[in-house]
Amino acid sequence: MEFSEHIKTANVEDVVLRQPLHPPSRGTLCITGHHLLFSDREEGSSRQVLLLLRNIDAIEKRMSGSSGTITIKCKDLRVLQLDIPGMEQCLNIAHSIETLSCLDCVSEMYPFFYRPADLSLQDQWGLSTPEKHYSQMKELCERWRLSSVNRDYSVCPSYPSAVIVPNSIDDSTLKKVAKFRQGGRFPVLCYYHKKNGMVIMRSSQPLMGANRKRCKEDELLLQAVIDGSDKGYIIDTRSSQQAQQARMTGGGFESKSCYSHWKRLHRQMDRGKALQESLIKLVEACGDESNNMDRWLSKLENSKWLSHVQTALSTAGLLAECVERDGHSVLVHGSEGTDSSLLISTLAQLIMDPCCRTLDGFLALLEREWLQAGHPFQQRCARSAYSHARLQQESPVFLLLLDCVWQLWRQFPLALGFSEALLIRLATEVYASDYGTFLCNSDQERCAMGIKDKTHCLFQALLRPGERDFYSNPLYEPTELAIWPSVHPQSLQLWRGFFLRWTQQARHLEEAQEEIRNMLIEWGKLALS
Amino acid sequence: MASPVSVYNSNALDAHIASTPRESLKMELLADVSLLPGEERIIDKDIIYMCHFNGAVKGKVLITNYRLYFKSSDADVTVMLDVPLGAISRVEKMGGASSRGENSYGLDITCKDMRNLKFALKQEGHSRRDIFDLLFRHAFPLSHGLPLFAYVTQEKYAENGWNIYKPVEEFRRQGLPNNKWRITFINKSYDLCDTYPTVLAVPFKSKEEDLRRVAAFRSKGRIPVLSWIHRENQAVIVRCSQPLVGMSGKRNRDDERYLDLIREANDTTKLTIYDARPSVNAVANKATGGGYEGDEYQNAELIFLDIQNIHVMRESLKKLKDIVYPNVEESHWLSSLESTHWLEHVKLVLSGAIQVADKVSSGNSVVVHCSDGWDRTAQLTSLAMLMLDSHYRTLRGFQGLIEKEWISFGHKFASRIGHGDKNHADQDRSPIFVQFIDCVWQMTKQFPTAFEFNEHLLLTILDHLYSCRFGTFLYNCESARDQHEVRSKTVSLWSLVNSKMDIYLNPFYTPESGRVLYPVASMRHLELWVTYYIRWNPRIRQQQQSPVEQRYKELLALRDEYLKKLEQLQLSDSSTSSRLANSPTPNTSSNTSPSQQYTHLHTPF
Repeated sequence: MEFSEHIKTANVEDVVLRQPLHPPSRGTLCITGHHLLFSDREEGSSRQVLLLLRNIDAIEKRMSGSSGTITIKCKDLRVLQLDIPGMEQCLNIAHSIETLSCLDCVSEMYPFFYRPADLSLQDQWGLSTPEKHYSQMKELCERWRLSSVNRDYSVCPSYPSAVIVPNSIDDSTLKKVAKFRQGGRFPVLCYYHKKNGMVIMRSSQPLMGANRKRCKEDELLLQAVIDGSDKGYIIDTRSSQQAQQARMTGGGFESKSCYSHWKRLHRQMDRGKALQESLIKLVEACGDESNNMDRWLSKLENSKWLSHVQTALSTAGLLAECVERDGHSVLVHGSEGTDSSLLISTLAQLIMDPCCRTLDGFLALLEREWLQAGHPFQQRCARSAYSHARLQQESPVFLLLLDCVWQLWRQFPLALGFSEALLIRLATEVYASDYGTFLCNSDQERCAMGIKDKTHCLFQALLRPGERDFYSNPLYEPTELAIWPSVHPQSLQLWRGFFLRWTQQARHLEEAQEEIRNMLIEWGKLALS
Repeated sequence: MASPVSVYNSNALDAHIASTPRESLKMELLADVSLLPGEERIIDKDIIYMCHFNGAVKGKVLITNYRLYFKSSDADVTVMLDVPLGAISRVEKMGGASSRGENSYGLDITCKDMRNLKFALKQEGHSRRDIFDLLFRHAFPLSHGLPLFAYVTQEKYAENGWNIYKPVEEFRRQGLPNNKWRITFINKSYDLCDTYPTVLAVPFKSKEEDLRRVAAFRSKGRIPVLSWIHRENQAVIVRCSQPLVGMSGKRNRDDERYLDLIREANDTTKLTIYDARPSVNAVANKATGGGYEGDEYQNAELIFLDIQNIHVMRESLKKLKDIVYPNVEESHWLSSLESTHWLEHVKLVLSGAIQVADKVSSGNSVVVHCSDGWDRTAQLTSLAMLMLDSHYRTLRGFQGLIEKEWISFGHKFASRIGHGDKNHADQDRSPIFVQFIDCVWQMTKQFPTAFEFNEHLLLTILDHLYSCRFGTFLYNCESARDQHEVRSKTVSLWSLVNSKMDIYLNPFYTPESGRVLYPVASMRHLELWVTYYIRWNPRIRQQQQSPVEQRYKELLALRDEYLKKLEQLQLSDSSTSSRLANSPTPNTSSNTSPSQQYTHLHTPF
């Protein structure tokens, strides 16, 4: 394998590993193409630590005399330290980690090599397809159709091959609309509210430009969405000033004069770099060991992470209010329509739709709204909070989603069918995984890489019997009602289970939750017998 | 479940207010108040409640000798208030007869439980004079020669809560007396120390005259006495007040010898003295005759725990109230919260208690004091005991802990809370006990399966800390309670609690007797107790509280059923021992109690 050229030293004896929650241990360190393997050689124990190199965000090396120390900072926020005898060995190991942890070639990544005995590549991949989703909602067919205008991904490279659009809009119109929307992301249906027939649509910004271009077909499509009802709302995830400025670079917004039945609401959501920097500051504050009187709360506030959570939840609340309480259809977009738009449409669906709150339903929602809808996972999650590399397209939008879902979970402990452990698992897998699910940036890329044939599906794996129990909420009690989150800063909490997960306290809480789960299972069994 | 108002600031959308059918006619408004025995109507009146959240609400107010009750007459908004008069710290007139502006004339009421209430009345004819005078009289009965409501009501409960704590039995539970520690009744007529209980545990070798000489050297005569002893290693928690060292650096050989007896009792080389105060305060106390143990105490080390005094705590909570009521701070919430220092104080109290617990569980005896030994000392000893002894984590054990370390050892509830007293600016008032309950709440959050009681118990305790409906928290010390015959003339809060226990139980409680709980007292792991401090704000209140409680009850029922089935299984197991060999259930030993079985079942997980 070509990996071997990056591995000058594959084995080192007598290495000391220091990791959170465990005493230091001495053993053998091994580097392979995808893993760092540490085997404990202490008397009477045979503990192993297997770390995906992909999980490593940054390393620091420090030499002293004839030995060296490598500090490894992981994307799952764990920090490990290796004391390696021999300067050359240490440098070789560090070099291997540096190179192998950030290989760009998708087909060389571990999911293509991961072959567990209990999974077969023939197993079903994913949970649902746009076709299945459409056919499951019978109410839809009256006014909505499944279009395969994008079957070869030529109309919109980041959309799936089939999308749901108004019945009255034909494919040739869609093609014209796609030319008027950034990246070809024309408005498509992502949620149908059964109670009142209202829908959530999402798209990218219209390419109105400095000279206020119009597109009849685009206006027609949106008109067809509201079809007879008096008005619809457009939630633009930028401030109105940002939307105005976007015209200078060819973008824009739906003007009142051209879309008279639509009312625009602007809600500024930070994205991209701002989010990534916020995460970096937060993680830095969490990892600061100088405990005493350290102005922790100010640092937490300065990271702005919780205000991003607040903005996301309140914008999603607004969206859900428009649909559920006011009975209007809503179109959501920002500029590209691949980040904040997905964030708030996902959260709004969790707020309104009980089907999305089961374990299966939630994973299917993620599959629809993030994977199929073209959130560029590979670009967004290439690096995490510790990396010193220059930022490119990284942004923790998906992590922000998981945090917001956790806030919902905390405020409504009975209403969601999945556990905190699921959210933590997803937050880890999205950065480094044995599974192919989060590879690539779009459906098209995944097809081209043969992800579905050559890797295993995380979502399917999470739903296997043993795992399913672990990721279910034992207190779950389905409710048909909407769950309106409180978005006051007093109601929002730091997601300690993730951000402080490598501390003893997080471990206590995990144990307690595990205990509660087992208790409920035992009681349930006896109550049945 | 839908929140009553549009919370996402969408100016485009209308606010929705939950409406109820207009069926309650005005005169029947007050019909649904169920009065307590002995509770009597004082006055009722049409009034406007100036709600901070819903605006002005018309309705009727009823004042009794126990409560202030308000109900809206407006069909659109149902607003109800039910406030024990004991929770009121201040009543003031708002506006004058000539005040302009709508609803500018009325009453402004400040409560001890983190809220304020404003009522508006008609300006003509001195309409508020009678209600103001009557409210003022009955909210502060002691200032007007009236009895506290606890002495008026005659509530009956299935259980008598006054029996929950009996000092001698509690000492026996701890394994006392033994050959190192004896029980003394030297204080039976409160002449050794008038703020201590009558029953005390002291070193076996100390003589009664030693105790008297030590009392002369300790502030208010509060001599070092045993609070808790570790069953295995015999290390003890001893509490007292500061030594009267003074500017001249006085010594007292009896006191020094006495502390050394405490050390000797379990044969360790060093006794650790935890002074709860910041060291500068301890030094400053010398000027007023107090101080701390110096080098003359051989075999002892002194550690300051840096916990601030009652005045600092009072101001801190006041600052917290400023940022949560009536309006919650929005834009800089976390840094504002930080600037109140409330969580920092909670952290220092908890980490002090952790040090005490850790020292004791490693086999070293400790002495804990502050200045008088009735505020910070009570916090530290009771929290450390909660960490060390799982008995105090049960519903009844926790009641006993409060009775023992707080009530019987003379935490000055009357002065700190100001029951029935109009002097709202009294410098003796301070939320020390609230802070203790907050620390307990932090622990229950960090160990969700370790406590038999739930948050509802903590809230109930804090509500009745002020209400004056029960005798439990009245007066400063046992001698005063005896004098006012609290036990015979009033009802205990624990009567209420223990007669309806199931609503205070945590369904996830798993008894683990040997475990010491060390909460993490880092700021990163402490939370503001939103469901207490911000509970009056309907927009913050977590909207699913009642379904959770409902679910808890179901779970408790399930748990009971489970325990019952286990017991049955056990019976059938012991009767047909032949089946035991291939019994699929793990409970193969038949001589253990059901609760032991139950823990045993879960340890493998």
